[in-house]
Amino acid sequence: METDGTLIERSCRGRPDAFVEVVRRHETAVHAFLARRAGAQAAADLLGEVWVRAFAGRGGYDPAHADARPWLYGIARNVLRAHWRARPAPVPATGNADPWDDVVGRLDAAAQAGALAAALRALPPAEREVLLLVAWEQLTPAEAAAVLGVPPGTARSRLHRARAALRLALQEAT
Amino acid sequence: MTQENPAEMARELTRLGQVAAPEPGVLDAARETLWAAVAAEMLSAGPPAPARRAADRPAGPARRAAPREANQPGPEQDR
Repeated sequence: METDGTLIERSCRGRPDAFVEVVRRHETAVHAFLARRAGAQAAADLLGEVWVRAFAGRGGYDPAHADARPWLYGIARNVLRAHWRARPAPVPATGNADPWDDVVGRLDAAAQAGALAAALRALPPAEREVLLLVAWEQLTPAEAAAVLGVPPGTARSRLHRARAALRLALQEAT
Repeated sequence: MTQENPAEMARELTRLGQVAAPEPGVLDAARETLWAAVAAEMLSAGPPAPARRAADRPAGPARRAAPREANQPGPEQDR
């Protein structure tokens, strides 16, 4: 089977339709990425925007990367952030909006696991983001780093801190 | 809550991240949006051509590459 990198490269060389196969491979995963963070309706609204942005930006994809998922998640993340910025949401008193409050708020509403949701909410956003990319999207720390545009070592240390903080918070809750 | 066990905590996190499959038609509709962009490119001058070699370029004045999204890494375009 051809890699995503090969397909994307071909799509840049006169066969733009080759990109559609990349989308077919990852559309369920990218939809889930969006739905976990913004809900099913927003995911449905934003998925097409992710594909159009990815298609427009595919010239920058390094075809040596066989799996396009981290790259697509990075684009989906940017689309989500634009969505959150554009939304007429109340501005927190601190003026320091954390869109991930939405995610944790969704967990609070959906889960009985209140302690875990509370522990997630208490994490610094950068640590929480790495943790959820690994736990939910099944990425390696290096792949999560690619999504976030940070060095792999940074992602690993954030993940380590997030797990330690979560364990501690849950121990204190019991 | 007994999530001092890392494996149990990971399982619980995974469970929290479970979402329903997309509604019928959602994936198709998004792909249709993509197809519109694909068709537009097929009908127009061409793709971004990241690693296009000099020998592949058409003769004549250099074409200026289309502007790209600010959030995309820079392709190795014609210079």
